[in-house]
Amino acid sequence: MVETFNNLMLGFSIALQPHILVYAFAGCIIGTLVGMMPGLGPLAGISILLPATFGLNPIVAIVLLSGVYYGAMYGGSTTSILMRIPGEAASVMTCVDGYEMTKNGRAGPALAIAAIGSFFAGTVGVIGLMFLAPTLAGWALRFGPPEYTALLMMGLFILAYMSGGSMLKTLAMAGLGLALGMVGIDAMSGYTRFSFGIVELGDGVGIVPVAVGLFGISEILITAGAATADNVQRPKLRDLIPSREEFGLSVGPIARGSLLGFLIGIIPGSAHIISSFVSYGIERRLSKHPERFGQGAIEGVAGPESANNAAASGAFVPMMALGIPTSPVTAVMIAAIMVHGISPGPLLMTQQPELFWGFVASMYVGNVVLLILNLPMVGLFVNLLRIPYSYLYPGVLCFCILGTYSVANSLIDIWIMLIMGALGYVLRKFHYDLAPVALGLVLAPILELSLRQSLAMSAGNYAIFVERPIAVTMFALGLIMFLFAIKPLIFKRGKDWRRDVGLEGAEEN
Amino acid sequence: MDRDSAQMPRGLRSDQFSGLLLVALALYIGWANLEYPIGSLSEPGPGYMPLLLAIFLGAMGLLIAFWGGYSRPLRDVRWPEAVRAAIIIVACGVGAFALERIGYRLTVIGLMIFFLGVMERKKPLPVVLVAVGFGVISFYVVADLLNVPLPRSPWGL
Repeated sequence: MVETFNNLMLGFSIALQPHILVYAFAGCIIGTLVGMMPGLGPLAGISILLPATFGLNPIVAIVLLSGVYYGAMYGGSTTSILMRIPGEAASVMTCVDGYEMTKNGRAGPALAIAAIGSFFAGTVGVIGLMFLAPTLAGWALRFGPPEYTALLMMGLFILAYMSGGSMLKTLAMAGLGLALGMVGIDAMSGYTRFSFGIVELGDGVGIVPVAVGLFGISEILITAGAATADNVQRPKLRDLIPSREEFGLSVGPIARGSLLGFLIGIIPGSAHIISSFVSYGIERRLSKHPERFGQGAIEGVAGPESANNAAASGAFVPMMALGIPTSPVTAVMIAAIMVHGISPGPLLMTQQPELFWGFVASMYVGNVVLLILNLPMVGLFVNLLRIPYSYLYPGVLCFCILGTYSVANSLIDIWIMLIMGALGYVLRKFHYDLAPVALGLVLAPILELSLRQSLAMSAGNYAIFVERPIAVTMFALGLIMFLFAIKPLIFKRGKDWRRDVGLEGAEEN
Repeated sequence: MDRDSAQMPRGLRSDQFSGLLLVALALYIGWANLEYPIGSLSEPGPGYMPLLLAIFLGAMGLLIAFWGGYSRPLRDVRWPEAVRAAIIIVACGVGAFALERIGYRLTVIGLMIFFLGVMERKKPLPVVLVAVGFGVISFYVVADLLNVPLPRSPWGL
């Protein structure tokens, strides 16, 4: 405890340096603006800004990018509440009651509760990260290739189980992502695989062009030509204060959403999206008046907003402690750190304590910045929503091209981005979830290496995965999740808990 | 997969179609993977993991197609924005082709003029002002302020 406190003080001594504070502010502002733009979620925003961080020191780079991440999560809720347009996928549930509150003239309290919930959840998430990551990192030092294989397999099964859509489709998309990850030079044999004679593909398919294509370009292809609402409310500062009753109703959902979001955030997958759906479902079930949901219930804003922000923090636990990205966003963050020659993982906290604790402290700072920045400036930010979409999307497209190209100065990356954009557009038409593709892509090299090393260690005996206690436990957990997930497919009358918590709607969104 | 649509007319269903496409992709991966040695269980080669993934992807595709009988009919999948989407993709492709030849600023100005002027049919003056402003300002911010190298045209633009 004392050691954690001392480390945190070290972190604050770094995060409160004036130039780092400036970058935290800049990241939060850019993120908020990015999150408010349809088609530019946190992932696209971080990807586009990534090349600009190459010249910065690693602490500043990660502070800036995590500011963008949090800002984008908050910005998405603003458009959801005021215009019923989720700036990013995690804000879909906020649309339901947030926009109804706006129609009832309660946009201000909805925005305020979203901000307060995000702040509280972000803080809970950071505290969780602070205590859990070092423990997990110490434990992970005992991991060998079989444990890593089991962990990744368990993650993929849990992802399929938690997915809002069809489990089979989610697993198929994870398989597609893993297959994309096979492109390039095989680290163990030196063979160049599936490169079609294109030299640039020797390095593999990058996460940035795939992520920007799947999430940014496909969104524009689906929505280009759509009209935007021209009547956007601009709440004033005095309108933001929630009533005593609204505040009382929000306390429970914020607390539950924060805890739930953090726990879901640790699991691989689109944690922040899933957590907001689950939180909404739980609040609806716990409410004494569930009929108010969908009509402007403030609990329907407080719970999901808290959950998706806590999940955003939770996702950093496996990233920092194990060096494993559990979402496309953390995969890009890992890329940002690795550019500076630093590998996240169990040894990061001992070898680079100033980076880890500086990052943790900057998350506290970022949460405070978001709270004091976004509420007073919400009237200013909503001006962005007045720009007609016909002017906005060409700019977003140019930013996507710019961001993708500048990561490696490679035209091939732009072609990959465009192909992925078209693929994402088609897959969305058939209700396939896209996040597992990006996740599979980033997990593929780690999974392949650990699987082949495990087999080499055991002279080709797959029993190595059941002979080691940690590995067999993780495999068993993954298998249980898998069996639960296929139960509704086999027994058609089987009750699926996901339907109870509102996840059945995720596929359609 | 929506079982409520069980009363819909016969014909290929959307999930059956997408599942079969996944099977075709898996077969292609398996075929392309023949080029690489599979190795043995104790020493898996570079073709080992792709083969496992091709089998997995094919199995998932078959299961999706198998359980896809209750999904909506393929002809009910609507593509109202497909032409517009195709034009956007082609325009971006032309932009990618031009980027290193005529530089970032001219490419972006050209793309913005196309999207705003041709696709969105905005008035010429705002189109030119927005296109030139966006191209020049974004170059200044990204290349000059953030020091990210961006391609210039042979004429220095």
